[in-house]
Amino acid sequence: MRQVLQARGIVMTFRNGDEETEVLRGVDVDLATGELVALVGASGSGKSTLLSILGLLLRPTAGEIQIAGERVDRLNEKARAAFRNRRLGFVFQFHHLLPDFTAMENVAFPAAAPAGGISPEMRRRALSLLDRVGLSDRADFPATRLSGGQKQRVAIARALMNKPDLIIADEPTGNLDLRSAGQVLDLMGEVNRQDGGTFLICTHDEHVAARCDRRIHLVDGKVQPDGERSDHLN
Amino acid sequence: MFALKVARRYLTSNPAQTALLVTGVALGVTVFIFITALIEGLAVRLTDEVTANSAHVTLEPPTRLAEILRGDEAVRTEGVALVSTFQRRQIRAWRSTAELITRQPGVSALSPQISGNAFLVKGEAVQPVSVTGLEPEGLDAITPITPNLVSGQGALGADGLLIGTQLAEDLGLTAGQPVLLRTDRGGERLLTVRGIYKTGLQSLDSRVAFLSLQTARPLFDLPEGVTNIEIKLDDPDRAREVADFLAGATGLRATPWQEKNLNLEDALEAQGRTGTLIQIFSLISIIIGVASALVLSAYRRRSEVGIMRAFGISGGFIVAVFMLQGLLIGLAGGLLGCASGYGLCTFLASLTDADGNPPLPIAPERGGYVAVLILTTLGAVLASAFPARSASRIDPLEAIQQ
Ligand SMILES: Nc1ncnc2c1ncn2[C@@H]1O[C@H](COP(=O)(O)OP(=O)(O)O)[C@@H](O)[C@H]1O
Ligand SMILES: [Mg+2]
Repeated sequence: MRQVLQARGIVMTFRNGDEETEVLRGVDVDLATGELVALVGASGSGKSTLLSILGLLLRPTAGEIQIAGERVDRLNEKARAAFRNRRLGFVFQFHHLLPDFTAMENVAFPAAAPAGGISPEMRRRALSLLDRVGLSDRADFPATRLSGGQKQRVAIARALMNKPDLIIADEPTGNLDLRSAGQVLDLMGEVNRQDGGTFLICTHDEHVAARCDRRIHLVDGKVQPDGERSDHLN
Repeated sequence: MFALKVARRYLTSNPAQTALLVTGVALGVTVFIFITALIEGLAVRLTDEVTANSAHVTLEPPTRLAEILRGDEAVRTEGVALVSTFQRRQIRAWRSTAELITRQPGVSALSPQISGNAFLVKGEAVQPVSVTGLEPEGLDAITPITPNLVSGQGALGADGLLIGTQLAEDLGLTAGQPVLLRTDRGGERLLTVRGIYKTGLQSLDSRVAFLSLQTARPLFDLPEGVTNIEIKLDDPDRAREVADFLAGATGLRATPWQEKNLNLEDALEAQGRTGTLIQIFSLISIIIGVASALVLSAYRRRSEVGIMRAFGISGGFIVAVFMLQGLLIGLAGGLLGCASGYGLCTFLASLTDADGNPPLPIAPERGGYVAVLILTTLGAVLASAFPARSASRIDPLEAIQQ
C-alpha cells in the first residue's frame, strides 16, 4: 500500500523562559493510503501537538516529515500554507465554521479563496459533499442556523473539499452529544471505506478508537509499540 | 473576486455597526466639504468684491529713471521720488491711448482720471482724502457709485463732490453742504457735497472723494493730461496678460489688480492654510475611525481568520479581505458624505439674512468632491493596512485552541 505519511524522529520541546517541556521525544508515524487510524493517549500526552506538527501547523524541534511523497518539514510558511490547502484536511473539536456564510459556501471556501471565486464546478462538488454528509437540504442555511452535529458534518465536508491526501481530526466528536458523535463517526468511516480517505483521528474516546483500523498510542512522548499495547489490553 | 465577496459579507453581517462607521466617515467628509466650499466661497466673494469695485488694470506714466535703471529696486524707488518732485508725471496723449485701449477685445470700460491727494476742510475738521477726478458720464465705469448713493445724487456738475458715508460722518457733512478742498499742488476751492455713497469698502467710504475731471484740472495743475487710466475687463482673471500687452502697446506702466491687492492674496492664503488644516484633521479622524473599527473587527474574527489560515488560505487573501473592507467603507462613507456635504452647502447657500444675502459665502459647487472622495477612499484603505496585516499573521493554532 502507498505511504501517505512518514514521520521520523519527531521531537517537540516547548520552552517557557528557563522551563523546558519535552512533549514528544522521537515519534515515528507511518500511514498508508486509506487507513483510518486513531491517535490515543492520556490527556496531556502530546496528541494535539503531534497532530499540529503532522498538519504543518507547528514546526517540530527536530524530525522529518514526508507527506504524499513530498518532504515538507523544510518548507517555508507560504509553501506550508499552500500544501495544507491542497493536500490536507482538518477537522477540529470545535467546528470553526464561518458564521457569515452558508453551509455550501463554508464547504467550498478552501477551494474558492485561492481560486478567486466559487466556480460552478466547486459548487457542484460542495453540494455533493453536503449530500455525502446528509445535509443537502441545508446547503443554503447560514452556518449559524445549523445544530452542533450538523456544523461538525459541514466541517468534515469542508475538510474533504480539496480532495486531501490526509485528513487530520483532533477530537472531532469531543464537543458533540452521543447521537451526533455517532453520526460524525459513521460518516468518517463511510468516507474512509467508500472514498479511500486517509484519516488520523486523535481521541480519548474508546468508542471512536474502537472503530478505527489501528491505534497509535502515545506514552511519555513516544509511540508505544503495538505488541506491548496488545499485551497490555489482553 | 472572492475576497471582495468575503469583505462585503463581513460588512453586512453587522449592519448597525457598519452603518455607524460609514456615517462617521460621511460626517468627516461632510466637514471637509463644508470647509472647502466655505473657504472657496469666501475667496470668490472677497475677489469679487475687489474686482467689482476697482479697476482691473491701471495705466500710469512710466517712471523715467526706472526705465533706464531697470531691475534695481533701490534706485527705482529713488527715481520715483525724483520724477514726481521735478517733473509732473502725466499721460498727455490720453485720448489716443484711450481710443487704442477701447479697441482691445475684453476691455469692458475705461476711465481717464486725475488722482491726487488733498485735504477736506469743514470748519475745524480736516480730513485727508484721495481725490479722483473723472469724466462725469463715466462715474460708475470702475466703481459703482450711483447705485450705492445713500443721499443726494450723482450729478457732479462744475463744483460737485461725492464722498463716502464714513468721511461724511467724520466731517459732519450732509448732501448739499459746502466743503473746502485743498490739494497738495496748492489748489483750493469751495465745493458742494452732491451725494454720499456707501460701498461697504472701508477705504472707499472713508478716504475717497470724486469730482469731475474738469474741476480737478486747475486744482492739480494739469491743464491737459491725466495721471492714470483705469480699465475694467470682461474677465478679471485675464488682468495680468492684458496689463502685459497694454504696457507693451502704450509704453505706459500697467498694473493688474492682483498686484495692487497683495494683502488680499495674503488673506486668501492664510484662509487657505486654515482650511487645509481642518481638511487634514477631518481626514485623520476618518482614518482613525476606520482603523479602530477594523482593528476591532480583526480581533473579533481572529478565530475565523485563524481557521482560514489553518486550511491554507494565503495571508494575501486575508489582507485583501480587510483592505477591501476599508475600501468599501471609504467609498460608501465618501459618497454619502459628498451627498450630505453638497446638501448642507446648497442649503446654507440658499439661506438669506435680512439684506437678502447668504450669511455664509458658501460655494457648494466648489466642495472638492472628487478630491475628498479619492482621499477618503485612499485613507480608509491605508487605515485598514495595519489591521489587515495583523489579521494575516494570526497563528492558526491559537485560533483552534480557543
Ligand atoms: N505552546 C505550548 N507551550 C508550552 N507547553 C505546551 C504548549 N502546547 C502544549 N503544551 C504542553 O504539551 C503537553 C501536551 O499537550 P497536548 O498536545 O495538547 O496534549 P493532548 O492533546 O494529548 O491532551 C501538555 O503538557 C501541554 O501543557
Ligand atoms: Mg488535545
